[in-house]
Amino acid sequence: MTLQEAPPITALLDPETVQSIADEIWPTLVGDGEAFVPVPVAPPAEVVSAWVTISGPWNGAVVLTCAPATAGALAESVLMTRPPTVVDDEDVADALGELANVLGGNIKSVLPGPSSLGLPQIGSAPTTGRLDDVCRVNGQWRGQSLTITVQGATQALHPSGTEVPQ
Amino acid sequence: MRALVIDDSRAMRRIVGSILKDFGFEVREAGDGQQALDALQEGKAEGWVPDLCCIDWNMPVMDGLQFVVAVRANPELRQVTLMMVTTESETGQIVKALAAGAHEYLIKPFTADALRDKLALLGLLPEEVSA
Repeated sequence: MTLQEAPPITALLDPETVQSIADEIWPTLVGDGEAFVPVPVAPPAEVVSAWVTISGPWNGAVVLTCAPATAGALAESVLMTRPPTVVDDEDVADALGELANVLGGNIKSVLPGPSSLGLPQIGSAPTTGRLDDVCRVNGQWRGQSLTITVQGATQALHPSGTEVPQ
Repeated sequence: MRALVIDDSRAMRRIVGSILKDFGFEVREAGDGQQALDALQEGKAEGWVPDLCCIDWNMPVMDGLQFVVAVRANPELRQVTLMMVTTESETGQIVKALAAGAHEYLIKPFTADALRDKLALLGLLPEEVSA
């Protein structure tokens, strides 16, 4: 199947499924009683994203986007740090990347397979492909904006080396 | 009991390691399959052989499946229990990991109770934790 023939993500996945996956991940990974609430708040001026790519019948990425301060708070929660311990930039990238990784793995499991998952990446989110190939859930965590986007690739993604299961 | 936690995410190593320590395990960490093989070699030299390896699948340098194959090819490590702890949840991948020699498979995200249940199945929990 070529990228052009692949159905858009909106034909494969709905926001409710993404939300149900987040509902499972937040209490187990972010912490007891924590939740990703699907009620949008004003987006932050500055954002950071973590994402993993999915390569298979559907090609794209699962992207988690929030303000840098929210990423820091998420890392503190994931790592269960308590003052005076502070998380450094590497901890933040690692924790946000692992959240994207677990989100991506679980979203991959409901898409047509077999597919492979790339390693987590951090930075500015990859550009989206077809406009109809995007499934986005705008929400919040502890009152701060958080967005989960499942977006098609602009070109077919080719997994390499150790980044994917052999 | 001794455990080697193998994951490229420091956060996940800390989470898994913390749960295992609560269950009484002595824990060491490795960031990928090759580092884990090196840790096993170094551990052997000092008499530290893990009872359990918790292994992520997607890692740089050497992934979890390659690590399982390498360990299973080494007769000296036959007694080490191998458990995949990963987001990879397609049936074909679970089958592949078990066929390569993994004993158990735990899908992320997981709770401490789920990990405890797996360890109990594998006979790796002290009685006071199993109760």
